[in-house]
Amino acid sequence: MDAACVRHWLEVAAARIEAERNYLTQLDAAIGDADHGTNMHRGFNAVLARMSALDGATPGQLLIQAGRTFVSIVGGAAGPLYGTAFVQAGQALGDGEAFGPKRLVEAIRASLEGVQRVGAAVDGDKTMVDALTRGLSAFEDGLRNGTLEAAVRAARAAAMEGMRATIPLQARKGRASYLGPRSVGHQDPGATSTALLFAAMEDAVLAQRSQRLAAGPTGRLGDLHEP
Amino acid sequence: MSPEPIMIQSVARATRILKALGSEQARLGVTELADRLGLAKATVYGLLRTLEAHQFVEQDLETGKYRLGPALLQLGNAFLENHELRARSLLWAESLATRIREAVHVGVLHRPSVLIVHHVFRPDDSVQILEVGASIPWHACALGKTMVAYLEPEERRELLDGGLPRLTGRTITDPDVLARELARIARDGYAVEDQEAIVGEAGVAAALFDHRGIIVGAIGVSGPVEHLLPDGPATDAVAAVKEAARGLSRELGAGRLAIPGAGA
Repeated sequence: MDAACVRHWLEVAAARIEAERNYLTQLDAAIGDADHGTNMHRGFNAVLARMSALDGATPGQLLIQAGRTFVSIVGGAAGPLYGTAFVQAGQALGDGEAFGPKRLVEAIRASLEGVQRVGAAVDGDKTMVDALTRGLSAFEDGLRNGTLEAAVRAARAAAMEGMRATIPLQARKGRASYLGPRSVGHQDPGATSTALLFAAMEDAVLAQRSQRLAAGPTGRLGDLHEP
Repeated sequence: MSPEPIMIQSVARATRILKALGSEQARLGVTELADRLGLAKATVYGLLRTLEAHQFVEQDLETGKYRLGPALLQLGNAFLENHELRARSLLWAESLATRIREAVHVGVLHRPSVLIVHHVFRPDDSVQILEVGASIPWHACALGKTMVAYLEPEERRELLDGGLPRLTGRTITDPDVLARELARIARDGYAVEDQEAIVGEAGVAAALFDHRGIIVGAIGVSGPVEHLLPDGPATDAVAAVKEAARGLSRELGAGRLAIPGAGA
């Protein structure tokens, strides 16, 4: 995977967030400040605008810039949390022009750790961590037993499952936790946006793969493994 | 040790049922409740039927499980309506929200948390959720810190040593660090919260005193960290919060001397 793959991921993520903007805000209205859709949309628009000025940037640099943009543009909890996640992922990717699946695991793990450092949430607190933890572990398991394609698909499914699993939980972090038992029965908006980012990851990885296959003999399967 | 106060066992058991139904799992059957409370099913059943007759619980017709009843809402409202601090704070809170353009909360200490008794929405037409009744750990919010800063030393010590759970990466969980901050709060007359309860959210609060000079609550603004703590606490927010707290304390009968920083 290379910078084009990261750019494609950010574009697909932006499109998915835009499509679900009202849904995210609706979810947030039930247990938060009703601004999650708007905040994420604003953040990704700013990220896409910034990307066009970053010709020749490495995958790591792209993510670090995306994270900094989020921190400076996005209000609420989403700015610092996703901003930290992207910056940490970018740093974990290092300065290479390309990265393999194992590096991607490290990047997602670094995101999770960054989010937990800022938000102090653990799996089951009804936050984005619920989707991120499950997405990460499914991705790791998937790589151990199969192809990158299967792993990103499993990660997306697990993140979605983590997202849905937030519904019956009582929030223990964030504004929703102020509501106590009233937060039960609502899906967490942060876990939902995180699941969308995993879905975008699957799209981006599969798109890069099909381009390579279309490109003929250079698109060897071996390119998808650790360089 | 003082002798055990007189307690009526069945009343105590009934309150445990209500609290169980008010917890995470809001619908419980007789057997589940009996298991959870360690009581005989017949006992739980009798208590539930009594509570149901007074609409404190109600039974779901489909599942047969019990949930909280509508009479509790009336009692909750009555609690708020009769809350003197809340009643007196309405105008002050409203004008503070208008002035700073952020949400205002009035809270009382309900150890180890702050109970929100009044909440004025940020005046910007956005959708917000009423946080009256919310319970926020004292050490993570400006409201709680400013109240605890003025408690008697032994009461303060007890709260500091009572566990300081982490709510965000910025929650102060070291009792010594927090004790130093409380000393600063008592000196300056206001407390600041920098994303210690919610990521991205800040607060500024000041304590409220009555005619005895005793802490009765706190009033504060909360909003985006970039607005309230642009580069240290926003001076207009600090001034407005202190002014509201002084005015409200005077209405509650506090003398000038009882209010810290009143001369400032």
